[in-house]
Amino acid sequence: MRIAVEDLHVALAGRTVVAGVHLVAKEGEIAGLVGPNGSGKSTLLRTVYRHLKPKAGRVLLAGRDLAELTPVQSARHIAALPQERGGDFELTVREVVAMGRTPYKRAFAGEDPADRELVDGALRHVGLAGHDTRRFSELSGGERQRILLARALAQQPDILVLDEPTNHLDVQHQVELLALLRSQRRTTLIALHDLNAAASVCDRLHVLYEGAVVASGTPREVLTAELMAEVFGVRAVVVEHPLTGDPLIAFDHRATVGVLPGGPVR
Amino acid sequence: MAIASLLRRPERTRPTRTLRAGRVAAVLGLALVGALTAAVSLGAVDIPAAEVWSVVARRLTGRPPATGTRDLIVWQLRAPRALLAAVVGAGLGLVGTAVQALVRNPLADPYLLGISSGASLGAVAATVLGVGVGSAVGFTVSAAAFAGALGSFALVWTIARRGGGFSPLRLVLAGIGIGHFLSGFTSYLVLQAGDEQQTRGVLFWLMGSLSGATWSQLALPAAAVVVGLAVLQGRSRALNALLMGDETAASLGVDVARLRRELFVVTSVLTGVLVAVSGAIGFVGLMVPHVCRLLVGGDHRRLLPLSALTGAVLLVVVDTLARTVLDTQEVPIGVVTALIGAPALLYLLDRRMEHHS
Repeated sequence: MRIAVEDLHVALAGRTVVAGVHLVAKEGEIAGLVGPNGSGKSTLLRTVYRHLKPKAGRVLLAGRDLAELTPVQSARHIAALPQERGGDFELTVREVVAMGRTPYKRAFAGEDPADRELVDGALRHVGLAGHDTRRFSELSGGERQRILLARALAQQPDILVLDEPTNHLDVQHQVELLALLRSQRRTTLIALHDLNAAASVCDRLHVLYEGAVVASGTPREVLTAELMAEVFGVRAVVVEHPLTGDPLIAFDHRATVGVLPGGPVR
Repeated sequence: MAIASLLRRPERTRPTRTLRAGRVAAVLGLALVGALTAAVSLGAVDIPAAEVWSVVARRLTGRPPATGTRDLIVWQLRAPRALLAAVVGAGLGLVGTAVQALVRNPLADPYLLGISSGASLGAVAATVLGVGVGSAVGFTVSAAAFAGALGSFALVWTIARRGGGFSPLRLVLAGIGIGHFLSGFTSYLVLQAGDEQQTRGVLFWLMGSLSGATWSQLALPAAAVVVGLAVLQGRSRALNALLMGDETAASLGVDVARLRRELFVVTSVLTGVLVAVSGAIGFVGLMVPHVCRLLVGGDHRRLLPLSALTGAVLLVVVDTLARTVLDTQEVPIGVVTALIGAPALLYLLDRRMEHHS
């Protein structure tokens, strides 16, 4: 399913954080959102999974305005991995994954065999079958994100929305999670800090800066040395990754663009 | 680390949570029957359990009552009190579970939102200022307590809503602030109390008491607990989602703002009704959900009914202790729950600290 954001404006406590964003993720495409801290990535995603309401503009799900759907209806199409951690309430892995069935269940309905099958399938898919009775709060960071992905899959969504899913993960778990995501072939909106990860996992990238999209295109088109300097304020060269052929950004970690070479770093 | 997680992995033979919940419920059901029997049987005059049930059976089948005093003690004095303890305990367990989900903090309790302070102020004001005459006194005090609960609820609601949000933090801060503010008034009124008898009565009420329970007092809180359980149970999936965070809940199709409003209304009204009949009984609402989570896990579909059941058993036992532990006088029930509950709370805090270190 295709998702489009049209002239979206979102305000937080009176301050406009997303200002006139247009972007499209086509069926089966992984669309990456990149940009400096505070550029509006998370706010944009929160509006897509209906935690926030737009001030103006709209989000179109297969051509239909999200605002016309009830929260339950849109939850049957859009699943999310937000950044929040939740409280420690003794929930098991299975209970967390089964939450993905919430938008399909009536108030007093129990789980039926089809639900259980979906939950089992999601757990197998993320490689954590048999871990049902472990406590969610005791999982490692990598396992936790895979379980949250399993929950999102149990939701049978057409669109996946992920907000910095690789934060705080070591490099192996980052690669695992992103590979899992690529194998989905599902329309995906993902915010990523790691530009090299974004370059290799996303079909298209949208660069946000101060609440607006300043560049859109394939990673090769978008990730240039000029963009690194203008949007991120860092010096970098973009080369071809010797293993994968993806764009590879090599940063100059010694100085930002504004600092004179040889000048004081601090 | 890696070894520890490998050691945890082998397939489990532990029964699933659902099976276990059924067993726990059965055990608790039996425990409740046992506790109620003991509560009616024990006291200044001990009455054997068999006799207790024969009195109850006679009453329920409409046969002529047993000998006067036995019937009076079992049916008029102890049975309504034991049942009121069960109802109040069930309600407190339920409200505790709901409030902990509402503010996403497993250390929250029903009194965190300032409701009981309002109820206390209402009851103390009615007692000290001498509203209500003769047989209407008890009713007036309860009504004033309920009015106080709703008044503090309105205050906390208004403050928590300012700035648009209805966040857990705002709710807790508003609740604590209003709670202390109203407690100040209550303390002042207690000092102004006319005579020592009045002061004693007020203090007894502030610490919680089920003494003087009658059959007619039972209907309203029982109905409130049943309705409260039904309303919460119907939202148990949404409550589960709320534990993960507001954003997750929203992404699962939960209207979070509306759910919070509903939870706040349900918990406030239920707390108001309970406090009006029993005074402020602390720690039950905090402890019971914790114990139940340890037994059956965090899923509200099991947690809510089991918290009600556990709360009922606990308060029946505690009230029986409060009545019988001293020969000469009754101990306020809040004193007993505090003496048991405070050490239990410290133990739980300790356990949480270990988790996070």
